[in-house]
Amino acid sequence: MNIIETHDLCKQYGTALRVSHLDLQVPEGSVYGFLGPNGAGKSTTLKMILGLVRPTAGSIQVLGHTMDRANRLSVLRQVGSLIESPSYYGHLTGEENLRIVQALRGVPERTIREVLQIVRLDGQRGKKVAHYSLGMKQRLGLAAALLGYPKLLILDEPTNGLDPAGIQEMRELICDLPGRFGMTVVVSSHLLSEIDQMADHVAIIREGELVFQDTLEALHGRSRHHLALRTTNNAVARSLLAEKSIACQEEVGYLMLPILSDEIAAQLTRFLAESRLGIVRLEERQKSLEDIFLELTGKAASL
Amino acid sequence: MNLLRLEFYKCRRRKIVLVCAAVLAVELIWIGAFFTRQDAEDMKWGWMLLLYNLSTVDAIVLPLSVATLASRNCELEHKGGTWKLLETMVTPVQLYDAKLAWGALVLAVLLIVRSGLFLAVGIAEGFSGPLPLARFGLFTLLSWTVSMMVYALQQGLSLRFANQAAALVCGIAGSFLGILSMLFPPALVRCVPWGYYGLMSLVFMDWNPVTRVTRFYWRWPPVTDVVLLLLWAAVFLIVGRTLFVRKEV
Repeated sequence: MNIIETHDLCKQYGTALRVSHLDLQVPEGSVYGFLGPNGAGKSTTLKMILGLVRPTAGSIQVLGHTMDRANRLSVLRQVGSLIESPSYYGHLTGEENLRIVQALRGVPERTIREVLQIVRLDGQRGKKVAHYSLGMKQRLGLAAALLGYPKLLILDEPTNGLDPAGIQEMRELICDLPGRFGMTVVVSSHLLSEIDQMADHVAIIREGELVFQDTLEALHGRSRHHLALRTTNNAVARSLLAEKSIACQEEVGYLMLPILSDEIAAQLTRFLAESRLGIVRLEERQKSLEDIFLELTGKAASL
Repeated sequence: MNLLRLEFYKCRRRKIVLVCAAVLAVELIWIGAFFTRQDAEDMKWGWMLLLYNLSTVDAIVLPLSVATLASRNCELEHKGGTWKLLETMVTPVQLYDAKLAWGALVLAVLLIVRSGLFLAVGIAEGFSGPLPLARFGLFTLLSWTVSMMVYALQQGLSLRFANQAAALVCGIAGSFLGILSMLFPPALVRCVPWGYYGLMSLVFMDWNPVTRVTRFYWRWPPVTDVVLLLLWAAVFLIVGRTLFVRKEV
């Protein structure tokens, strides 16, 4: 069962179509990575799912309910969210901040302590949030989203602005949630490596359009092996390979060839040597996720 | 009620009581300074003189005070980027109404305390005539109504713009226009929202240029002015609320 489904979802600002005919399918119990370069439309999409931004067209189903004005808040009772940056009242303590969310959600008071423990802020609950570090604020935002243990958690760039230790801590917390509480987590990021380490399903969005949606395994499956050949004269080597009907292309000083059997590779090196060409390198390479992301989005991913 | 309670909870440590105390202190000093300069002849107008001057002081002090209160209450949401969290749990209309109700209660308490304080001042000064309790009650109600009209305008601005400078500049301009409008012809005063502090005054002054004698007299606010006041309030409420509800976070 899909916990979120969008059909033909669009958002237009003026004449610019920021989100274009998006069909997302988030399986229940998954950590769903929503990946795309900055400005691709990730936050707008997540805000539309939460009803914070009105879609121009299309429909959204969350937890089996088609979202509309009438049922939005009742559906969102089972959804926790952290959008863009954490929301907090700096002049109140961490615990006081959570008390506000707890009262609005109508969940038991004891959950405040529990979520503070989960995000490891229990020791800082009496401190004003204005005095928290960014990482602590982010964890407080996660604690607010966790109050009431929702079925679905939507986290928009939860590691933004964190230092490497903070990123790792946040990642561990997120990865822990489906197993511990049976939650489905949708996490957006422009960091490919982050999604690679957290998600089991992934969607890639580019300029508002969905360019990939499947399991992370399927994305990895796209990475093809190939041979990289470097000779003393690549231009001559290239024409010789063409004579032998072996397709190749030159990339930063290397000739990229398809995977060849050992026997054909041996024949090829012999042939090149007989043609008085020195073979400097011959190595097997695999296309990285970075290359795939680049191919799909046309933009370099942050690592 | 839950949302209203939370508005008070959120305003902890926002020094709201200090703002209110400052309003009372300024009014008290102002009126105190005024009365120390009056001779026995003027002091015979006692209660009337007090209420007349309170309307004037209100026109100067309250526009900026109301702007400050509205700003203190709305700024905390902009500062912490809390709209996107709150609006997943409550509707924008509920949020707007809770903030308005918070303002209404704070202003009601402030103005009731203010009236009580000046009643005590009048009694202590030994003003002649019966204690005008009913008129003080009505004056408090009218001050509150005008303040709520101004509060609706200020809340609309404070919610609309994250930078509170716009709302506070409006409050400062209101204080200036509030007192300046007392020099305007009545028809023009009706076009100035802050001018209603003076327009709704229960005491008017009549100065005879020939005898050079000043006379104060009680009067009821004209119905047309009350209707216009409510109309202004309705416009600020509807526009402010609609703009807030339509705003995407």
